Amino acid sequence: MTTPEHEASVDALNVSRRVFLAGSAAAGAAVGLEGILAARRAPAYAQGTRLNIVRWVDFIPACDVELKRQAGDASKALGAEVVFEFINANDLQARITAAMQSGAGPDIIQMLHNWPHLYANGLVDVSDLVAWQVKEQGPLYHQSEANVKVGGKYLALPHGIVPGLIAYRKSWLDEIGASAFPKTYDELREVGAKLKKKGHPIGQTLGHTFGDAPGWAYPLMWNYGGMETTKAGKTAIDSKGTVEAVKFMSAFWKDACDEGGLAWDDTNNNRAFLAGEISASLNGASIYIAAKRGQDKIKDDKGEPMVRDIQHARLPAGPAGSWSYHAAFAHGVMKYGKNQKLAKDFLKWLHGKEQFGKWFQVAEGFSIGSTKFWEQHPLWSTIDEPMKLFRTAADNSRVFGYAGPPSAKATEAYSKYIIVDMFAKGAQGMKAEDAVKWASEELKKIYG
Amino acid sequence: MKKSIAGGSGGAAGMEVALPHPRTSRPSGLTRFLESERLLAGMLLTPTVLLLGVFIAYPFVMGVWLSLTNVSVGNPGEFVGLKNFIKAWNDSIFRTAFYNTFFYTFWATIFKLALGMWLALLLNRHFRGKRIVRAAMLLPFIVPTVLSTFAWRWMFDPTFSVLNWLLYQTGFITTKLPFLSDGTYGMWCAIVVNTWRGMPFFAISLLAGLQTISPDLQEAASLDGANGWHRFWHVTWPLLKPVTLVVVVFSIIQTFSDFQLIYVLTGGGPANATHLLATYAYQIGVATGLLGEGAAVSLFMLPVLFIVVWVQLRYLRRLEGA
Amino acid sequence: MIERRWKRWVYFYIPITVFVIGTLFPFYWMLITSIRPDAELYRSWRAVNNAPFWTLHPTLEHYRDLMAKTTFPIWLWNTFFIACVSTAISLFCGLLAGYALGRLKFPMAGTLGTSIFVTYLVPPTLLFIPLASIIRTFQLGDTPWALILTYPTFLIPFCTWLLMGYFKTIPKELEECARIDGATRFGAMLRIIFPIAVPGILSAGIFAFTLSWNEFIYALVFLSSPEKKTVPVGVVSELIRGDIYFWGQLMAGALLGSIPVAVVYSFFVEYYVTGLTGSVKG
Repeated sequence: MTTPEHEASVDALNVSRRVFLAGSAAAGAAVGLEGILAARRAPAYAQGTRLNIVRWVDFIPACDVELKRQAGDASKALGAEVVFEFINANDLQARITAAMQSGAGPDIIQMLHNWPHLYANGLVDVSDLVAWQVKEQGPLYHQSEANVKVGGKYLALPHGIVPGLIAYRKSWLDEIGASAFPKTYDELREVGAKLKKKGHPIGQTLGHTFGDAPGWAYPLMWNYGGMETTKAGKTAIDSKGTVEAVKFMSAFWKDACDEGGLAWDDTNNNRAFLAGEISASLNGASIYIAAKRGQDKIKDDKGEPMVRDIQHARLPAGPAGSWSYHAAFAHGVMKYGKNQKLAKDFLKWLHGKEQFGKWFQVAEGFSIGSTKFWEQHPLWSTIDEPMKLFRTAADNSRVFGYAGPPSAKATEAYSKYIIVDMFAKGAQGMKAEDAVKWASEELKKIYG
Repeated sequence: MKKSIAGGSGGAAGMEVALPHPRTSRPSGLTRFLESERLLAGMLLTPTVLLLGVFIAYPFVMGVWLSLTNVSVGNPGEFVGLKNFIKAWNDSIFRTAFYNTFFYTFWATIFKLALGMWLALLLNRHFRGKRIVRAAMLLPFIVPTVLSTFAWRWMFDPTFSVLNWLLYQTGFITTKLPFLSDGTYGMWCAIVVNTWRGMPFFAISLLAGLQTISPDLQEAASLDGANGWHRFWHVTWPLLKPVTLVVVVFSIIQTFSDFQLIYVLTGGGPANATHLLATYAYQIGVATGLLGEGAAVSLFMLPVLFIVVWVQLRYLRRLEGA
Repeated sequence: MIERRWKRWVYFYIPITVFVIGTLFPFYWMLITSIRPDAELYRSWRAVNNAPFWTLHPTLEHYRDLMAKTTFPIWLWNTFFIACVSTAISLFCGLLAGYALGRLKFPMAGTLGTSIFVTYLVPPTLLFIPLASIIRTFQLGDTPWALILTYPTFLIPFCTWLLMGYFKTIPKELEECARIDGATRFGAMLRIIFPIAVPGILSAGIFAFTLSWNEFIYALVFLSSPEKKTVPVGVVSELIRGDIYFWGQLMAGALLGSIPVAVVYSFFVEYYVTGLTGSVKG
């Protein structure tokens, strides 16, 4: 299935791969050496100093294993014990609040989306670290930067993005005559309706979960021309575009979706897909990776490993654009922490080309880097064909609060799942205008 | 040995004994302390008052103060008066949560009472294996709520529910029931789980009440020609009222401020449709970080609980007086 | 005769059986899920060989993984330790307070009793944020002591109330006799009244132990390190992992987490029942 464009891009990849390897060999050696030397020069930390880092439970378990391994190396290099703790992503915000209120807790906490804006008062300024990372790995993607830049200062160090694409079963789409994945929302609805009639609905969550739900809801609104606020930050959601989007959602839900999705969290669609219950779902690469890892157990109805039937596609386009939303991650150093210098040293070590590169390799494309630098990584030329789309997936993302800045108010609106609920209400049968009015009222309470 | 009693023991009978108990002489300081009802009571109550004072009374006052400010995580905030309460009252999700809490408490209590009473009546007989059955019946109440609710959540799972499978196989349904994906279904599922969990408490307590009712009364009634239902209504029920009332009140307090069950079963979803006041307060206060507003939502629970308890005390007093 | 038997079946045996099945089915479900291999757990419900009520390939892998790969055994110990110590504290306070309120006359007895009971009404969801600040002041964050000192806040009122009822049923004559024989009021309390109240104490203790094992929200907010967590919090926060809800391990954890409480209670079920009923009557 090679096209000239495809071959050209492979060549381009190979060229850039050589460049990358040459460059990184030199740079890597320098950084590695520098790192070791720096560690030897680093002040010895008091006996028993412990650095606690809290992150989400990665959807690729091997990544957490790699991090734990790296923690061992870091402990030796820094002379203090480094401990990772992994909790359910949906519990992170509660944990941050509890820690900030009780003034005690982990030294570094992972920040998702634009949380640094909300927790600005509790985070340490890491602009120097960001400057270092940009110098080493190039300029940040738009969303990575916007999410951590608060009032001119950088309050967290970006650590990857998890792009979301639609995973789908190629054979089922072929069966109903769709040779390529639908490019517009209306096409998606038609294709989905046919699929649902055959018992293979599309699966989408509209529940209160951190990843797949906003990843669908916000772009749907944007692609129909809707937006939360004007550039100046005044509520502007009640518009024709948004109403159209909700109308689409209601119809799409009934015609094409698994209606249990209102109670799904980020894991339900994975399990439903791997059990053969749904034909397509917006997700990170974890569905594909899980199918690949478990191919002796996860089979399709013909008895073949399901992974061979899985392809990826971008979110469809609406009348006003084809935006996506990809969750950007970062690490924030907490102000209440007693080991802030150690925390910053550790982050510098962790985010360096060498360590991040190892973690990036293990992620197999599920998490990509925060800068375009990582698009040149050799991983992309050896990775499976259906996964190649993830390389550049992060380039068309907006951030919460559009068209205004991704402020703490936008984070509040996200935490309250107002946009997601607006679509959920529509899916449950509320008139589109009423759902949008409700969302507008709720947003006004936040934005004014 | 003669001992002259020192220091003006006015009423002492002047007993010259070497008894270790200076019972009839002026009591020593410590003994007087231990004898005085008031001081003894004070001493006995000190640990309790201290603990409850530091860990309930003081935080309560702080919580009330918090609800009058706009404190959020990381921001000290400032006094805003009743703004949080007004905002909550105008919040559609809050109104849903408020309504849900009443709905949930009302139906769960009725079911628990009815089923508990029925079970108590059944257990009041003698049959083989009674002790085992009685012990087994208490299990749902003993096991930590979080853990048993998880089992229910798995049974209601949107994709893999065993209940859906059962109903499908027996031909009752053709498409999956949206147990937790629909607000109304979700509330009823929560009521079912709460009933399952709380019924044993009712059953055992009512059983104890039943066992204090002399069987002669029942005999007399049946001799007079009353059938089962009549006997229950006119003989058993009036005697069970005090016990029932106490049990119901305890249950209402617990159910009204319930947090764990909804948190684990639905998380308040779908789309905030199954929130209770407690879970919504947690979501606003902790998950979103708006501590002042969260405290205000919690405080709405208090008036209702007060009223419930006050009504109970009055009714009990009336019953006891009668 | 036959008619009577028919009646007995309809009015008694069938309802009791339904009750028993309804009550115990979730536990059976927990058990089955915990020994079922993953492949069977996540099979489509329309699959032909779907036999959800039993499994032909029972496996202990979930239990193994639970014990080996998580800190579940530590959670069990934490929960047990915290439950024991807070029960001890609550019993101590409840015993003294119950005696004072139940047998002594002093001004404000009624008010004090009512106010202790009223604290029971204050919802934990209101208290836990201010409590977090207090815990921070005493530097108890992320230690079991944060819970050991806060659990008595809801255990003491109940213990007090239960023991108060118990004490009220003990005839005054016992105390009078003891005092005539030369004991102080305090001594009488210790040596005469308390031993009689042992059944009540046991009931209150079992109840407190069960309630404390069951507590969730304070543990959720005040503890953070995995090795400090209690079973309910640990199961919720650590066994729901990423894209795979480890249902097998979750149910194994749920079962194992319930066993200690069930064991304790099975030894004392009589006392538990008596306690429940005694408190209700008193």
